[in-house]
Amino acid sequence: MTLLSAAAELPPAVPEVAERSWPASLHLRLEAGEQRTRLARMAFHGPLRVQRPFYPEGDVCHLYLLHPPGGLVSGDRLGIDVHVTAGAHGLITTPSAGKIYRSDSQNGQQRQQVQLTLEAGASLEWLPMETLIYDGANGQLSTRVELATGARFIGLDMICIGRPHSALPFLSGRAEQRLHILQDGKPVLIERLLLDANQPHWQQAAGFNGCHVAATLVAAGLPQPQQIAESLREQIPELAALKQPEQFSISVRLGLLLVRYLGNNSEYGNQILRRVWAQLRPLLWHKPPCAPRIWNT
Amino acid sequence: MTDSLLCLSAATTSPLELLQLLQLSSASLPIGAFAWSQGLEAAIDQGQVSNAEELQAWLTTVCEQGLAWLELPIMARCYDAWQRHDVDSVNHWQQWLLASRETRELLDEETQIGGTFKRLLKQLGQLPDQLPEQSTYCGYYALAASQRGISIAAAQLGWCWGWLENQVLVACKTIPLGQTHAQQVLNTMLPVLVRSCEFSRQLADDDIGNTLPGLVMASARHEYQYSRLFRS
Repeated sequence: MTLLSAAAELPPAVPEVAERSWPASLHLRLEAGEQRTRLARMAFHGPLRVQRPFYPEGDVCHLYLLHPPGGLVSGDRLGIDVHVTAGAHGLITTPSAGKIYRSDSQNGQQRQQVQLTLEAGASLEWLPMETLIYDGANGQLSTRVELATGARFIGLDMICIGRPHSALPFLSGRAEQRLHILQDGKPVLIERLLLDANQPHWQQAAGFNGCHVAATLVAAGLPQPQQIAESLREQIPELAALKQPEQFSISVRLGLLLVRYLGNNSEYGNQILRRVWAQLRPLLWHKPPCAPRIWNT
Repeated sequence: MTDSLLCLSAATTSPLELLQLLQLSSASLPIGAFAWSQGLEAAIDQGQVSNAEELQAWLTTVCEQGLAWLELPIMARCYDAWQRHDVDSVNHWQQWLLASRETRELLDEETQIGGTFKRLLKQLGQLPDQLPEQSTYCGYYALAASQRGISIAAAQLGWCWGWLENQVLVACKTIPLGQTHAQQVLNTMLPVLVRSCEFSRQLADDDIGNTLPGLVMASARHEYQYSRLFRS
């Protein structure tokens, strides 16, 4: 285990992408203190850190995950493990978009595994910036969320496939994104997005509909989620609007509220999904929204 | 599985089993499958599916990229589990299936048809003593097929046929699609069903599942579509 204070002094240098291949892991444990949630444990291995926690709203522990290399190349393995105990409340984000670069000539895999464990009565907001999947990537991204009774959770994950604005569309490669949510040990949501440049469903209406941005916001622990979904549709008319191919959807099932975006505009998708987050936060925690600073830049 | 093996499995189906498969896959089986559109009504309403070609593209994606990756492999696992009287395993795979139903509409369809199917089998005196916690359409179809000695290969084809016929009927009512066009779509889709069933049997447990964003969006948006013929 490394002392927390060491994390703040990381060199910002970005190594040459082609020259490295690092396994990296980070374990965090958030516990309820008398006044505020404490980062009770931080252990890391390799280039994965967290900035010193800060408390813009007093009690909630806000954390920035840092991955100084800035993205994954072939052979990289990132493991992030967050454990939140009863009564603790964390908000975790990242200062920049995650990147899954083009894989090497051996097509080596790039893997990121996130495990979020919420004990009974724990709270977590998991709000990383979007993940960019470069042409030629071979990525495996997996997020597993384990919720105990009474845990409250919001997660917002966006992937952007290829970089069409830079004239670098996703013409080759493969990436897989898994999301598993378990409530009291039972699976309540299993999603598996297979992005394969060779698969025909890429352009098909039932598949990705030719879109390169997909995002899901998940909220667990809401009181009366069905009613909340209905009022969200009234308060945020963009959720029901349809300007092909830009579309949002809402559904509530097995206690989870799910808001999805499929389109071509990551900024627009984020803008609307963050408005949803801002509406949900008071309902989940009786707290006004306190957006990560990075959202304002 | 190769074509020859599939032929073998079809050939080993006895005349009685074949008729039972037709009965099980018929739209007249009172389980209410006809009432659901699986997002297709919304896709039609949103202008994404407006003719036979677009319908065929939509159904091919859903079958080859969806059913072949989720329902069909899970049905096969439930089938094996029922034959072993392994209710824990049926439970496990049914739970997996329900968690993979990304919208309330898709989840409700699975559990409501499953519940009706279970009641039907009960009234027919065909329920085993030990039952899983949840009821899914896939799970009870697998049970009914295994009880009747229908091979899993044949059962999957029959189930796919039921799905296809139902979806094409949705299109007939909502696009609307003419009867001849409907038959043409059915014709074109038959080899897709065969391919999808074959593909599904090669999938490892860890490779099960493939979320189709367009289908998921359509199904969720159907839940609050202004007016609709099909259930949500």
